[in-house]
Amino acid sequence: MSGFWRSHRAWMAPTLFILPGALLFGIVIIMASIQTIWVSFFDWDGVGAMQWVGLANYAQLFDDPQFYVSLRNNLIWLGLFMLAPPLGLALALLLNQPIRGMRVMKSLFFVPLVLASVTVGVVFTWVYDPSFGLLSLLFGYFGATAPALLSDEHFVTFAVVVAALWPQVAFCLVLFLAGLNNLSEDLIGAGRVDGARGWPMLWHVVLPQLREVSFIALAVTVIGALRSFDMVAVMTSGGPFGSSTVLAYQMYEQSIFSYRFGYGAAIATVLFVIMAAFIAWYLRTLLKPERESA
Amino acid sequence: MYPRPISEDSSLRRAGYAGMVALVLILWLVPLMAVMATSLRSFEEVMAGNYWGWPKSINFVENYTAVFTQTAMARYFLNSLIITLPSVLGVLVLSTLTGYVLSRYRFRGANLMFALFVGGNFLPAQIMMIPVRDLMVSIGLYDTFYALIVFHIAFQTGFATLFMRNFIAALPDELFQAARAEGASPGQTLVHVVLPLIRPALAALAILTFTFVWNDYFWAIVLTQSDAVKPVTAGLSNLRGEWVSAWNLVAAATIMVAIPPVVMFFLMQRHFIAGLTVGAVKG
Amino acid sequence: MKDVSSLIAGTHSRRQFMLGAGAVFTGITLGCPALAQSKELSIISNIGNAAQRDVLQRIASEYQKASGVTVTINNMDHEAHKTAIRSYLVVGAPDLCFWFSGNRMKAFVKRDLFDDISDLFERENYKSVLGPSAGAVTVDGKQYGLPLGGLLWGMFYRKDVFAEKGWSPPATLDELLALGEKAKSAGMVPVSIGTKEMWPAAGWFDHMNLRINGLDKHMALMDGKMSYTDPAMIPVFDKWAELVNAGLFGQNHTSFGWEQAAAALAQKKAAMMDLAGFVKYGFPQDQVDQIGFAPFPEITPGLARYEDFALNSIHVPKNAKNKENARDFLAYFYKPENLSAFLEAESAVPPRNDCPPSKDSLVNAAVESLKSVEGSAQYYDRDTDPDMAQEGLKGFQEFMVKPDRRDQILERLEGTRKRIFKA
Repeated sequence: MSGFWRSHRAWMAPTLFILPGALLFGIVIIMASIQTIWVSFFDWDGVGAMQWVGLANYAQLFDDPQFYVSLRNNLIWLGLFMLAPPLGLALALLLNQPIRGMRVMKSLFFVPLVLASVTVGVVFTWVYDPSFGLLSLLFGYFGATAPALLSDEHFVTFAVVVAALWPQVAFCLVLFLAGLNNLSEDLIGAGRVDGARGWPMLWHVVLPQLREVSFIALAVTVIGALRSFDMVAVMTSGGPFGSSTVLAYQMYEQSIFSYRFGYGAAIATVLFVIMAAFIAWYLRTLLKPERESA
Repeated sequence: MYPRPISEDSSLRRAGYAGMVALVLILWLVPLMAVMATSLRSFEEVMAGNYWGWPKSINFVENYTAVFTQTAMARYFLNSLIITLPSVLGVLVLSTLTGYVLSRYRFRGANLMFALFVGGNFLPAQIMMIPVRDLMVSIGLYDTFYALIVFHIAFQTGFATLFMRNFIAALPDELFQAARAEGASPGQTLVHVVLPLIRPALAALAILTFTFVWNDYFWAIVLTQSDAVKPVTAGLSNLRGEWVSAWNLVAAATIMVAIPPVVMFFLMQRHFIAGLTVGAVKG
Repeated sequence: MKDVSSLIAGTHSRRQFMLGAGAVFTGITLGCPALAQSKELSIISNIGNAAQRDVLQRIASEYQKASGVTVTINNMDHEAHKTAIRSYLVVGAPDLCFWFSGNRMKAFVKRDLFDDISDLFERENYKSVLGPSAGAVTVDGKQYGLPLGGLLWGMFYRKDVFAEKGWSPPATLDELLALGEKAKSAGMVPVSIGTKEMWPAAGWFDHMNLRINGLDKHMALMDGKMSYTDPAMIPVFDKWAELVNAGLFGQNHTSFGWEQAAAALAQKKAAMMDLAGFVKYGFPQDQVDQIGFAPFPEITPGLARYEDFALNSIHVPKNAKNKENARDFLAYFYKPENLSAFLEAESAVPPRNDCPPSKDSLVNAAVESLKSVEGSAQYYDRDTDPDMAQEGLKGFQEFMVKPDRRDQILERLEGTRKRIFKA
C-alpha cells in the first residue's frame, strides 16, 4: 500500500486535495446552476407543474423594455463600483501603520461590511429623504433645497450605488490589508536603496506585488456590481417605476413577487452569460503572465 | 513594510497621523453614527422623522433589552455560532487544498475547473433557491444546521478558492523547487511551506467568510423554518412588521449582530503581520 | 473516502461535510427530522407586532396546558415569510400558518397546498358569526382558512386641524379638490402619500375605481376578465389625473414610505391621508385620539359604497402532519375572547360579529363605517394575480408622477394582463 502510494503520490495527492472542494462545489452549486438554465426553458411558478416553452422566456425578455433599463443600470453599477478597489487600497495604505490604536481603527473601518444590508439601505434612504434627510438638512443650512435623488429617474441609480459602495470599499480594504502584509521586504528594501518613494515606489514596486490581490478585489467588485439587489430592494423597490432596477433585482422580483421562476431563470442565465464573458477575459489576463513565467 | 512606518522617535508626527486617521474615520462612519443614534431613540421619534438630530430621549436599556425580549435573539446568536464556525473552518480547509492544487499543479482541465469555481460565485442566489432546497430535502438536511453549513461551505468555497489560489500563486517558485529538492511530499510542502506563509491570507479569508455566513438571511429562510436553527439575521428581521418596522430596535439589533464579526476582525489582525514574509523565510 | 476524511479530520466541519457528501454519494434519504407525533403542533407565524406575538404565545400556552399538546411557534418576518411559505408548504409544512385571504389564498388552494376546513366551519358554526368575511376564505363553496384581523381603508385627518380651520372631511370629489385648494393656501400638502413601496398608489386606484365603476367591474378587472384599456377605465384615470395635476399629492412622494407620509400628517404639514388604522403608529401616543376617519369621497352619485377591506387569515397546510390538532387549536384560538385579545394588539377589525367592542376608537370607527358598506374588495395587490399586481403597482406609481404617460402605462398593463390571464 505504502509503496503504491509513494510511487503514485505525485498525482494522487493533488487529486485527493482537490476532490472534497470540487465535489461539494460541483454537487451543490454547479448542479443547481445547470438546473437553473434548464428551468429557463419552462413556464413555472416555483410550486406547480413545469410547462416547456422553449425559448419563449428569452424572446419575451429581449422584448421587455425593463430588461434594457436593468442592463443600463448594471453598467452604471459596474462603472461606479470600479471606484471601490482604489478607495480600498487608499484606505489600506492609510491604515497600514504600526501606531497604537491602529488595530481598533482598522476594525472600525471594517464595520460597514458587517452591518446588515437592510440597515445600510435604510440609513442611506435617510440621507436622501427630501424632508428629514441629511442632504436636505445640509442644503437647508445653506438655504437651498436638496434634490429628491431617490425620486429622480436619472439619478436614483447613482444614489443607490453610493450606498452600496460603502460596504464594498470596506471589503476591498480588508483584501488590501492582507495583501500589504504579504509584500516582500527584500523588494521594498531594494526599492528604498534605489531611492524610490511615494508614487514611483507604489507604482513600480508595490502594485506589481499586489497584482493577485487586486485581481481578487476586481472580481469581488464585479460580482458585487452584478449580483447585488438587496440595496435596490430596500432603498427603492426598483423605483421610481422600475428606473433603478438591475438584472439581479428584476430576477428577484420576477421569481419571488411574480412567481415566474422560468422567466427569472432566463434573466439569471443572461446575467450569467454576461458574466461568463468577464470571467473568460479575467482568467486569460490573470493566468497569462503566470504561464509566461513558467 | 509599506508605506514606510512613521518614525518611532517623533511622537508628535505619530499623534498627528493618528489624529488624521481618526478624522477620516469619523467621516467614514457618519452612517454608522446614524444607526447608533437611532438605536437610542424612541419609536415615536423615528416615526416623526428625527433621523439625524441628537436623540430626544436616551432609550438605551429599553431598546437593547427589547431586542432580546421581543425575539429569541439569545438562541439565534448561539445558532449563528453553530452555523458559522464550522462553515468558516470548512471553507478554509477546502479552499486551501483547492487553491494549492490549482495554483501549483498543471493538469488538463485545471483552468476549466478554476473557471467553474470563479463562475459559481457570480450566480445570483435567488435562482439557486429551489434546486438547492430540493437537494437538501432529498438528503434529509432540510431545516437543520447541516443544511446551512453544507450550503455555505459549498458556496463560499468558490470565492475562497479564487482567493487562496491567487495568494498561493503569488508565493515565489523557488520555495517549491527547494521543497521538492528536499524530497518533501505535497502534503508536507503544504503544511510546512505554504501554510506559514499564507497566514495573513487565511486570516483575511476567515474574516470575510465569517462575515458573509454570519450575515446571510436568504438561505436561512429557504433552508430552515424552525426558530431552533435560525440565525441572528432572522431575529433582526423579526423586528420588522407588515406595516410598521421598529427601526430603533432594528438599529439596536444591527449593532449587536455586527459585534461578533468586528471582534473577529480585531482578533484576526494579529495574523496580519509582516514578519512572516517570504523574505524572512528565505533568509 | 478514507483519505478524503483524513484530510479534513480534526476540524468541526468533518462530520457535517461527510454527512452531506455521504448522503449524496450513496443516495440515502434520511427523512425529515422527526416531528410527526400526535401530541405536537407547530405554527409558523409572520407577526411583526411584538404585543400580538405575546398574545399568540399566551393563547398557545393556555391551550397546551388544557390539551396536553405541545405547541411550537416559529416566527418569521413578514416579507421573508412570503418567500418561505412557497418553500415550506411544498417540502415541510407546519400544522398552521398565517397568510392572506382572498386571491393570495386561492393561489395556494389552486395548487392543493391548503387543507379544506369546511368541516371545522360546520362544527363550530362559523358561518353564522362571520357574515361576509367568510367569503374571503371560501373557494367553490369550501372554506380553506379562518379570517383574522381586517383593515378598512379610507381617509384620515387630524380633528384638531380640521376644527381649527373649520374644514370638514370631503364627501365628494369636488369637495376634495376644494379642500385641496384651502390646504395649499394654508401651506399644507392636501393629501399625504408615500409611494416608495408602491402599494399606496394602488390603494388610491382601488378607491377611484370602486367609486366610479363599482365592485363588480373592479373585481372583473382584478380577475383579468376586463381590459385595462376598457372605456370604463377612462373616467378613472381622467379624474385621477385631474387630482394629480391639481397638486393634491405634493412632490417627491416616490421618495417616501408611508411612515414619512404619516409623519407629515401628524406634524400638520399635510391635511389628509389615504390609509388604514395603522396610521396611528405615525402619531405620538398622546395625539392618537386626534385622528379622524372618513370614507373616501363619493364620485358617481348614488353608487353603493364599496371599500377595500383586507383580511389576514390562518390556514392548515395540506402537508401538515397534525391536522386534527390544528383544527382543535383553531377552535380554541377562534373563541371570541381569544380572537379579540389577539386582534386588539394590532388594532384590527374583528371578523366575528360576537367579539366584545374594542377599546380602540379607530377600530370602532371602522366597525361603525363598515355597517354602510355594501361590498368589499381586499386591496389591489391581494385581489389580482401577484404577477399582475407587480406591474400594476409600478404602473400606478408611474401614473401618479407622470400622468401624461397614461396611454403607455395602460397598454403595458394590458399586455401583462393578456399574458397572465391568457386573454
